[in-house]
Amino acid sequence: MTAPAWLEVLNETMDACRTHGRADLAERLRRRRDAPPGQIRLGVLGFPKQGKGYLLNAVLNAPVCAVGDAPTPAVPTEIAYSAEPAATLVGRSRERIPVAVERLTGELGARPAGTLSRVEVGVPRELLSAGLVLVDTPPVGDPRSPRTAAALDLLAEADAVILVSDATAPLSPAELALARHVRTWCPHVLVALTKIDASPGWRAVAERNRAMLAEAGIDAPVQPVSAVVRQAAAKAGDADLNARSGFPELLNWIAEQAARPADQSRALLAAVGVRAAAAELVESLRDRVDAAGQEAGLGQAALLQRAQRRADDLRRQNTRWQNLLSDEITDLLSDAEYDLRERTRKIVNTIDRTFDEGDPAKVWDEFAPWLDNALAEAVDVNYTWLADRAEWIAQAVAACFGAQYDRALPDLRLDGSGVEGLDDVRRPKIEKFKVGQQAFTGLRGSYGGVLMFGLVTSLAGLPLINPVSIGAGAAFAAKTIKDEGGMRLQRRQAVAKQAAQRHVDDVFLRFSKECRDSIRVVQRRLRDHFTGLAEELADELTHERETIMAGTAERERRTVHIRREIDRLAGLHQRAGELGTIAGRQRRELSA
Amino acid sequence: MTRDVRDLLAAAAGLYRDDPRASALLHDCLNRLEQPLRVAFTGAPASGKSTLAAALGEWPTRALRDLVLLDDPGPADEVPDATVRLVRHLEPDELAAAHPPGGSPFARQSAVNSVLVLSRADEVGAGRIDALLTAKQLARRAWREDPLCTGFLGVIAVAGQLAYGGRSLRDDEFDLLAAFAAVPREELERHVLSVDSFTDPAFPGPIPVETRRSLVVRFGMFGVRLALTLIRTGCDDRIKLSAELVRRSGLGELRDTLAGCFVARAEALKARTAVIRLEALLAAQPRPGGDRLVSRVERFAAAAHDFRELRLIADIRGGRTALSGDPAEEAVRLLGAQGTAPADRLGLEPDADPGEIYDAGLDALRRWRHEAERPDRPHAERTAAHVVVRSTEGLLSLFA
Repeated sequence: MTAPAWLEVLNETMDACRTHGRADLAERLRRRRDAPPGQIRLGVLGFPKQGKGYLLNAVLNAPVCAVGDAPTPAVPTEIAYSAEPAATLVGRSRERIPVAVERLTGELGARPAGTLSRVEVGVPRELLSAGLVLVDTPPVGDPRSPRTAAALDLLAEADAVILVSDATAPLSPAELALARHVRTWCPHVLVALTKIDASPGWRAVAERNRAMLAEAGIDAPVQPVSAVVRQAAAKAGDADLNARSGFPELLNWIAEQAARPADQSRALLAAVGVRAAAAELVESLRDRVDAAGQEAGLGQAALLQRAQRRADDLRRQNTRWQNLLSDEITDLLSDAEYDLRERTRKIVNTIDRTFDEGDPAKVWDEFAPWLDNALAEAVDVNYTWLADRAEWIAQAVAACFGAQYDRALPDLRLDGSGVEGLDDVRRPKIEKFKVGQQAFTGLRGSYGGVLMFGLVTSLAGLPLINPVSIGAGAAFAAKTIKDEGGMRLQRRQAVAKQAAQRHVDDVFLRFSKECRDSIRVVQRRLRDHFTGLAEELADELTHERETIMAGTAERERRTVHIRREIDRLAGLHQRAGELGTIAGRQRRELSA
Repeated sequence: MTRDVRDLLAAAAGLYRDDPRASALLHDCLNRLEQPLRVAFTGAPASGKSTLAAALGEWPTRALRDLVLLDDPGPADEVPDATVRLVRHLEPDELAAAHPPGGSPFARQSAVNSVLVLSRADEVGAGRIDALLTAKQLARRAWREDPLCTGFLGVIAVAGQLAYGGRSLRDDEFDLLAAFAAVPREELERHVLSVDSFTDPAFPGPIPVETRRSLVVRFGMFGVRLALTLIRTGCDDRIKLSAELVRRSGLGELRDTLAGCFVARAEALKARTAVIRLEALLAAQPRPGGDRLVSRVERFAAAAHDFRELRLIADIRGGRTALSGDPAEEAVRLLGAQGTAPADRLGLEPDADPGEIYDAGLDALRRWRHEAERPDRPHAERTAAHVVVRSTEGLLSLFA
């Protein structure tokens, strides 16, 4: 199968759009090209409070869309056929959240703005069964608002559009402009004139609207409708009343859109899209030619002077950021080390206090994990702080470049603090005063006591071993054990203190080295990044100066080039028109 | 306040003696101080300015006697002292367009001369019978919550057409409506569904199409339906129906706001207009020796307490302060929302004797001073209390 003729024209126009920096137009055409076959999308667009929701609900005979003072969703709602009523919220990252249809409005109100991309609703309606999708859009308003953008985004895929405007007033200039824009991008447009039940003058308004549309060359019928009457007719089952609501005609028009042969429809849509894109592109190119013409008005001398001033600025900037970076890095080095020292000093203090009082033999098991944790935390906090400071320095240096700094800061991610790699504190050799040793020491003491008192009491004629000397022996044994125990405790405390302090010193030494290395890495990365930037700016400036020197010749060459592009686009525009005429058959005129 | 402005204008007249255009302007400023307050009705085309101005203008009470209502003056026309801005929907785009313009720091600080009206309130919610209630809720919510409504002294929902129709209801119109209301409800229902069904030749009874059409053009489809419901539920003569239609239209609320915020402050608002025009003249055509006058204008602007009172009344009523309930009621009264005479501010009878007024004033002053100095209250609340204290002091100073 050969590619249809329109595809070639479409692709060529897409390329032109991309070449001239209009990726948005290219994207629109791409979506038009890749639209899924077998689906007819009918969009409903309008300014706020014109009765869009009432209209759609009346078309479907079901309360699908939010009406009245309920908040209107800021994202489009796509209504398609399904055997059972169903609703799905589609999030920004394509996640799908099914909700009950009757709770849809509440669920929408509860979601924070910007988390959804669209809402999908399925209803069991004959009208939709052949693949028709009705798309309700957020109200159009301020041209810069995201709501308006979301509404107009519809035009990339819509096969037909219903514009909603109420009968209390004729089309406003803004509505007319919207109609023109929509008609440029979409060949099938109908203006639904709502609220005719409440407006005594609706016939005059309808006439006025028709006249205005014709005058502006916008080919779109005007269909007066009343959702209130339609609703009453549905309730009473009154066909005559229904006919007065204007909805039968509207539904006929919708059915016509759904029944159009797919091939013909796609070709026509493509042709219209190409013409619209080409026209917009030509407009922006013309603006560029005009701007170039104005630029020519500025004297070469003035331009050169300006470039010279910028070069001077750049030189000053260079000195400034280099000084700032080296000062800041020096400060950071000393601050980081001081911070770490301060933190470890506090830990050492706690170690001293612990072993001035406590017995390492008893508290060590509890003490060791505490020490490991405290060190890990100190290291980690110090490192996080260091990373923050590095980030701050990057920003401060970037600020030296002023408004010209429009790119991302360099990646300052460092390889972690290495907390996991810290060794646990090792248990020192702590000798305990065992029962055997105690018995031996006791014996030694008791022997001295018995001997001493035995000798004294022997002078009184008592034998060497008598109750007094035995009593004294026992007392001496107890004292000796106590003294010996105290000495051993002090020794153990000294050993434990020493071991813990040495461990802290090790960690400090190792980690302060790591800190210094990280800071140097930061310094090198920032230096390379900003040197590169400064060189780029200098190059740009040189280039600009060369361009100024090259002068008007270059400008003229560019203008000629753009004019040639405009001619090419005009050619594409014309070819698309011819293709559109073939596709549209009876439709002779295509406004672009 | 008026005397200060007069002095300023006289000094300026001396400065610009040799400039006929400036002199004419200053002369006009002086004259305007004697004339009634000028209130402009502004808004997009078809927002119902003329209808609303007409409904208000024919009001027979003395509350609005000293107002001149200007229906949509052009920018080159005379400067209004106060503005009623009409919007059809409380949509962000419309509100942004309706926002009072900036101007000099004094003009912005004293921008207490605009009321926002949601006109055509009967169109809210597809014209259901509860449309006016919904519209009132929407307006109240917008005033309290929408930052775009901050600068207004009030946000009021009004059905202009209904108000005007109700105010000018004629006997023949009442008879017609009463005749329709006598038709059984079920039978009538489909004929009052839309303008077309109401003006259909198949409509029961001998009333000509043109008569019915003029009725629906005067009152709107919503108005006709509401009138029929009201007649059925007891408004059985013209006076009663007229009063009830007007009451429901929100016109009374608008009138009270205009009386409280504009008429009672007419002197201050007129003085404001004069000062702003004087400021503009001094800026556009500087003169040697004008500096002294500029600083005098600045001093005047800094001392003008009326505007602070008005701003605070709007903030308290709009729910933008921490005050609520009885203290809020008392605060707005002391600030002069119900009249700026001492007895009005203190909630006493107009003929209360001076001793009584003085005592009540002293009592209020003590209580609000206490509020203004409580360290456990947030700063904004204490600032608000300070303004009330200042108002009460001003009231007592009349007795010094």
